[in-house]
Amino acid sequence: MRGWYGSRTLASVLLCRQPPPSGAGAAAAAAHRRSPGAAARRHASDRQTGQGQPQAFDPALLELLVCPLSKKPLRYEASTNELINKELGIAYPVIDGIPNMIPQAARMIDRKAQDEEPKQT
Amino acid sequence: SAKFTPLPKMAASIGAVVCRALHSRRHGKFLSIGRGLFSGARCLVAEGETHFGFQTVSETEKGEKVYHVFESVAKKYDIMNDSMSLGIHRLWKDILLHQMNPYPGTQLLDVAGGTGDIAFRFINYVRSQWEHQIRQKLKSHQNLSWQEISKSYQEEELKLPGGSQVVVCDINKEMLKVGKQKAQHLGYSEGLSWVVGNAEELPFNDSKFDVYTIAFGIRNVTHIDQALQEAYRVLKPGGRFLCLEFSQVNNPLFSRLYDLYSFQVIPVLGEIIAGDWKSYQYLVESIRHFPAQEEFKAMIEDAGFLKVEYRNLTSGIVAIHSGFKL
Repeated sequence: MRGWYGSRTLASVLLCRQPPPSGAGAAAAAAHRRSPGAAARRHASDRQTGQGQPQAFDPALLELLVCPLSKKPLRYEASTNELINKELGIAYPVIDGIPNMIPQAARMIDRKAQDEEPKQT
Repeated sequence: SAKFTPLPKMAASIGAVVCRALHSRRHGKFLSIGRGLFSGARCLVAEGETHFGFQTVSETEKGEKVYHVFESVAKKYDIMNDSMSLGIHRLWKDILLHQMNPYPGTQLLDVAGGTGDIAFRFINYVRSQWEHQIRQKLKSHQNLSWQEISKSYQEEELKLPGGSQVVVCDINKEMLKVGKQKAQHLGYSEGLSWVVGNAEELPFNDSKFDVYTIAFGIRNVTHIDQALQEAYRVLKPGGRFLCLEFSQVNNPLFSRLYDLYSFQVIPVLGEIIAGDWKSYQYLVESIRHFPAQEEFKAMIEDAGFLKVEYRNLTSGIVAIHSGFKL
């Protein structure tokens, strides 16, 4: 059983501040229980991800993702690693391969629109 | 839009003070007084205000505070879950998957999915369903196509069976980082995507997913009704909404033990294991504020879902609410 402490052991643990070993052990045991092939699959995919780019953005997500504000599709800009909503002029960053679709995290790209205007006149 | 039992705000703040006094285990006597006060602690708040545990905060503040809670606990989240629930949270999540019973080809959106527990279980389930189907076909002597035979021999499946996909969406990028690392460590890569997004404003188009799950996340959302409406929007017609969340315990004796455990043991565990008393204090308080089973069922129905049902697990400590977009 994990997690139960009497008051005396609680005090002693507080003093020496050691985390209980049972938590990590239980997690490992559960991982083994999940599937007998998990170990084999894990080794195979570890080899794969080591060679590939774990930080790259998955283009398949583009079919699913839209701007949370306007619900319009986005364009992936590989150079700046951002997802761009041209209509609203905002760009959502992609960090560690994970797109951040929170409006507060988005960057305004007004400067680009302003650059284009003088060319038109 | 949620209905609260009206109580003067004074009572709620007194309740909060008493609650903090309870942390010193010498004052065990106050427990029964405190429980009476904070069982009715869901009081009326002014417009634009909401609850952060037992505190009353503005709505923008709640979002920020919740973000900081999960940012701080992200790395120890899984260990803490195991310690606090004595490993039982794994059973609850397994039961959720069994109730979902996804077939290969299902598109799942797991909101507030953070460290990926539901997503990984989904992948395992879909894979074992596929293997089960293959074995059934072999048993009944049906001729398998060459593709199916070669797939079953493949050590590494390039895609999930049937094109199943799971997108894990969470507002907190620290939790997603932990989840992504776990996925790489455990060997989950195909059919799995990670997105930082707000449950109240999902970055997905209408009618995209077969199943929407939110496990232990919806009580942290500032506007639950908006999250429910977004869930309705992104589900395909025929799609299923599943919510696994802490709820109200129905048995009075068990409820006292549960309160004792929640307020005496859990924050202490939080301090020892994660070095963060306050976050786990917030956790147990937020559970008390979340609407009870019937009330939450009504909120889900308000969002447009039909055939809304719930089932209690572990005497009502958690409940699984389910609804369909029909």
